[in-house]
Amino acid sequence: MNQKLENILDKCLDRMFNGESIETCLNAYPEQASELGPLLKTSHVIIQKSSAIQPAPEFKARVYSRLRAMSYAKQEKTERSKRIPIWHRKWLLAVASVLVVLLVGVGTVAASTSALPGKPLYPIKLTGEHIQLTLAFSNIDKAKLHIQFSERRAIEIAEMANQGKDDTIFALTEQFVSHLQQIYEIDNVDELMWDGVKTPAATSALPEEAEIFDERGNKEELRVMLSNSREESLFALGNALAKAPESTKASLQQAIEIATREYDKALYNLEKHSD
Amino acid sequence: MSIEKDIVSRAIKGDGAAFAQLYEEHLKRIYRYVYLKVGNRTEAEDLTQEVFVKALEAITTYKWRSLPFNSWLFRIAHNLVVDHFRKQGKVEKIPLDDDMALPSKSNPALAAELALEIKDLTKDIEKLSSAQREVILLRFGAELSTAEVASLLAKSTGTVKALQHNAIVALRKMSSSDK
Repeated sequence: MNQKLENILDKCLDRMFNGESIETCLNAYPEQASELGPLLKTSHVIIQKSSAIQPAPEFKARVYSRLRAMSYAKQEKTERSKRIPIWHRKWLLAVASVLVVLLVGVGTVAASTSALPGKPLYPIKLTGEHIQLTLAFSNIDKAKLHIQFSERRAIEIAEMANQGKDDTIFALTEQFVSHLQQIYEIDNVDELMWDGVKTPAATSALPEEAEIFDERGNKEELRVMLSNSREESLFALGNALAKAPESTKASLQQAIEIATREYDKALYNLEKHSD
Repeated sequence: MSIEKDIVSRAIKGDGAAFAQLYEEHLKRIYRYVYLKVGNRTEAEDLTQEVFVKALEAITTYKWRSLPFNSWLFRIAHNLVVDHFRKQGKVEKIPLDDDMALPSKSNPALAAELALEIKDLTKDIEKLSSAQREVILLRFGAELSTAEVASLLAKSTGTVKALQHNAIVALRKMSSSDK
């Protein structure tokens, strides 16, 4: 008897989850109505109360944006690793750089520098940047390129926000951070000022003095470049925040906070090592 | 192939739009389930977010044969909640907040009343045995079918129906004694 009631209650609950009323269920089981009725009323109250628990729209949008960015980054990574095998990457990149220029043409490569994510020329732009970093002569050149590319990412974030493309902002912010952190990493290994091509001062008659002068000069040059880049990037992002649609404002605000923090960290690090 | 199976297999292959569809489809129920377990909006949001991040990271390891997709998601949610309580060194207890997201937030009086009712409900659910509580949360919070609950809890459907029946009888008694 009880087992029968448990089964009927379960069937009725399924019907109620699908929007049917208590009465419909009771009419279907008139013999059990007296026992079933109170249980269905309690169940109805539980259904009503629990269905009132809803995620906030801002939360929903925030997580959605994070997941899209994660998927995008995952996809990019897979595609990149498919395109370029791990072994002999430097050689492949050197060959690729020549091929890219030959096949795509100098004009297209130059035009790709202003391409935005999602556009056909954008992968060419990223490949170009990768090639430039791989072929950079010295760590100071690499650091300069990272500063330049971080600023490009910031401008792309601003553009994407203006276009309401929230899903790419997070991935671009991650790339932005990665460029700035790589400056820090180069600086940390303390090779920044000594490897690669020296400026004329380094080849003067007094090598020790020249090296010190060269180091200070390079650091100052980097510091100025980074400081200008900070100004440009934050200006572009701030401007975008004023114009961006509501749907992208939260991600953009987050990107500005991250950009400010990362620039300050990179500048602090450069200044600390200059002392 | 069912529509969801198709979406899941696209998500496994790295299709971000397919995963976004799964997120849209399951978010509300996962959030509700987690909320009813932790009783706190901030913690419920953090854990819900974590469920989907973990699911995205691990989706390539998911196999339809062993578990339906929504049961897989609820298993992640369940494990995260258990870990959450373990880290905090507390048993599953519901510290309810009043700042929950309710559809009637534009009407503060109604929202407050509803919040109070949900608070009462969760307090009552807390008094159930752990097996009854899990069945009620999975059936009413997560809206899983009896078969899905049975598969998730590794119990027979008969046992789940009995637990469900006993839990509703107990909740009915509690609500009548509250009045």
